[in-house]
Amino acid sequence: MKPANNNEVDLLLRGLARERTGAARQSSSDGGDADGISSDHLDADELNSYAEGLAPAPARARYTEHLAECAACRGIVVGLTQAAGIANRLEAPEETRGAGFWKRLSEFLSPKVLGYAIPALVLTAVIGIGFIALKQRQGTQFVAQNERPAEAPPAAQHQTDSGPSSAAQPQPNIQNETQSGRTTELPREKTALEDEKLQGGQGTGKPDASVAKLAPSKDAGQPAGVASVVESRPYAPETKAAEAPPPPPVINPEKSGELAKERSEKREDQPRDQNEEFRVQTDDVHGPNRSRSNNAQVTTQRGAGIMAGRGPSADKNKKGADVETRSVMGRHFTREGDAWVDTAYEYSQATVRVARGSDQFRALVADEPGIRTIAAQLNGVVIVVWKNRAYRIQ
Amino acid sequence: MKSTGGLIDSPVSQRIDQIGKLFVEGAARLLGRASDNHGLTAETLIPRVKSAVDKYILRDDPQASVVVIQDFIDKLQADDLCLIVACEQGNQKAWTDLVERFSATVRSAARSASSNEEGADDLAQSIWAELHGLRVREDGKPAGKLAYYSGRGSLAGWLRAVVAQLAIDQHRKQSRLVQTEEDADFDRIIQQGQEETSWSGHGASPNPELQISAKLAGAQMQKALAESVKQMQAEDRLLVRLYYFDGLRLREAGAVLGVHEATASRRLTRIHAELRQQVEKLLIEQEGWTQSETARAFSEVALNLETDIEPLLATEPVLMKKENEVAG
Repeated sequence: MKPANNNEVDLLLRGLARERTGAARQSSSDGGDADGISSDHLDADELNSYAEGLAPAPARARYTEHLAECAACRGIVVGLTQAAGIANRLEAPEETRGAGFWKRLSEFLSPKVLGYAIPALVLTAVIGIGFIALKQRQGTQFVAQNERPAEAPPAAQHQTDSGPSSAAQPQPNIQNETQSGRTTELPREKTALEDEKLQGGQGTGKPDASVAKLAPSKDAGQPAGVASVVESRPYAPETKAAEAPPPPPVINPEKSGELAKERSEKREDQPRDQNEEFRVQTDDVHGPNRSRSNNAQVTTQRGAGIMAGRGPSADKNKKGADVETRSVMGRHFTREGDAWVDTAYEYSQATVRVARGSDQFRALVADEPGIRTIAAQLNGVVIVVWKNRAYRIQ
Repeated sequence: MKSTGGLIDSPVSQRIDQIGKLFVEGAARLLGRASDNHGLTAETLIPRVKSAVDKYILRDDPQASVVVIQDFIDKLQADDLCLIVACEQGNQKAWTDLVERFSATVRSAARSASSNEEGADDLAQSIWAELHGLRVREDGKPAGKLAYYSGRGSLAGWLRAVVAQLAIDQHRKQSRLVQTEEDADFDRIIQQGQEETSWSGHGASPNPELQISAKLAGAQMQKALAESVKQMQAEDRLLVRLYYFDGLRLREAGAVLGVHEATASRRLTRIHAELRQQVEKLLIEQEGWTQSETARAFSEVALNLETDIEPLLATEPVLMKKENEVAG
C-alpha cells in the first residue's frame, strides 16, 4: 500500500468523522443520548481499571468493544488516562521491546533500510575518494624540489632530527608559512620522497667526482666515520612552494666551488641580528633545526666536496676576477650563468619559481615591493632570498 | 485460560466450594497486605472480593482457573479497598482519612469536568454525598457509590471516574430541561459544517451532471467506509474513533490503548491499508464498481475532501471549545 493511498483513506476517515460528529451533536441537542448506542455504560470502576490497564484480558476486550462505540465512556477513559500520565509510562514500542538480536539484525538489514543505506554509503565513499584524490593532487602541486648540488644522505635524517645539536639554530632553507597570501604545507610523506629526490639529484647537480665518491659511502650507512657529514646534512625541509620546483640551475662546475666559498665568506659577513631574527622565526614555525655551526659545516663540506682537487688557494686567486656581482636593495647578487643569485641563497634551499608578469609574480611584488625593485634592476633569472624564502624569478 | 489448575471437570458444588475457599483465603491475604486494615475482618472483605472476581473474571470466563483467580485477588489494591470498606462500614476515622487523602483529587477532577469554579465546587461537594449515599439499603447501611469500588484500580483513579460520570449525568439532566442559546449557536455551526462538508465534491466541477455523479460516488464510498469501520476489530475501531472522531493525538490514543505512540502509528497505517482493501471490495461486490473506478473515486473524493477541509478549519476550534463545554 502506497502512502498516497493511505493518505486518501486518512482524508476519507476525517470526512466521515466530521459528519458523524455533527450528527451525534445534532442528536444530542435534540435531547437524545449523545452516544446513540448504548445505555449500559461502563461503571467508574471498569473505566478506571481500563484506563490504568489493569482489566483482565477478556474484560478488557469487552470494554474495548463498548468504548469503540460509546463516546461518553471513551471521553472519561481519555481523561483518566491523561490524568494518570499513562502516556509517559509507555516507553518502548511493543514490537521492538524484547525483540531478539536476530530480529533486530534482520530489521537492520531489511531491504527497506538498505535501500537508503547503500546509496548513502556509496555516495560517502565517492566523496571520500574524491576528496583524497583532490588532496593528493594539491599536495603534488605544492611540493618544491630542493636544488642541492650535494648533500648528506637521508639515512642520517633521523639523527639530525633527534640529535641535541639540532635544536641549536635554524636552517636558512626553512621557509615561511605564507607566500603571496597563501599557506601551503608539505605533507610529512613528501619530505621522505624529497630526500630520495635530493639524494638522486646529487649526481646531476654535482658533476664533481668527489661528490660521487662520497655518496655511496653515505648510502652504506657508516655510523662513525661520517658523523660530521651526517650532522651537517641539510634538514629535510618542510618545503612549501606554490609551484613545482625549478630545475637545478646550470652551473659551471669550476665556478660553483668558487662561488660557494665566496658566498660562505659573505654570509659570515652578514649582520648578526639578521641571523638572530631568522633563528627566532624558524624556531617558532618549524621547531628545532640545524645549528648555525652545522650550517657552516654544510657549507664547508659542500665547498670542500665541490672544489675537491682544486685547492682553496686557487679558488682565492680566481675570486673577484671571474664573478660578477651586483647589489640591489642591500642584497648582493652574483652572476651564475644567466642567473643572478642572491649570496644568501644556498643550493640546499628550495626555490619558488615565479614567472615575470604572472599573477603569482604580481601578487608577490604587491606583498613585497622590494622584490619588484630587485626584479626590475636585474635582468634574466634572479634567485633571491626574501624573508627566509628563496624565489626564482624568471 | 484453561490450565492444569482449572476446575473444568469438577462438579459444580465442588467448584463453588473451591472458589469460596479462594475468596476466604484471598480476603485474608488482602488484609495481611494492607498497611492499615481499619479493624476489618476477612468476613467483611469476602463479599467485595467475590464481587470483584465475578465482575472481572467469572463473567467473561466462568471456568477460570484457580491460579487466575488467586492472581487477580492478590493484585487488588489492599489499602484502598480496606479504606473504602471501612468507610462503607461507617468507620468515621476512615471517612476522615478518605476525605483528607483524596479531597484534592476530587477537587482537581471536578475542576477538569466543570467549566467554572462554582460548578467545580458544587460537583466536588456532591461527590462526597454520592459516595456516602443519601439513601439507605435494605441492610440499613447507606447505598452510596462506595459499594462499587472493586479495588482493581487505584482509588484516586476511581474517584476521578466517579466525578466525570457525575458531571456527565448532571449535564444531561440540564440539557434535557433547556437548550441554551449557546447550544443553539453550536447546533447552527454544526449544521453549517455538515452542509459544507458533505461528500458532494461540490468544488470539483461546475458541471451539474458531474456533481451528481460525484455526490453519488461519494455517498456510496461513505457507506462502504462506514461499513468497513464497523467490521474492524474492536481495538482498531477504538483507535480510529480516538484518533479521527475524538481528535486525539496518536500519543494520547496510544495511551488509552496501552501502547506506545509508534505502535499506534503502525497500527493506523495497517488500518488504512485494510480499510482501503475492504472499501474497494465492498464497492466492487455490492455497488458493481470496477477496480479502476474505485481507484479513481478514492483519489477524487479524497481530493474534494482535502479542499473542503480548509474552510472548515476556522470552525473547528469553535467546535472543540463547545465540545469541551458540553463535556464539562
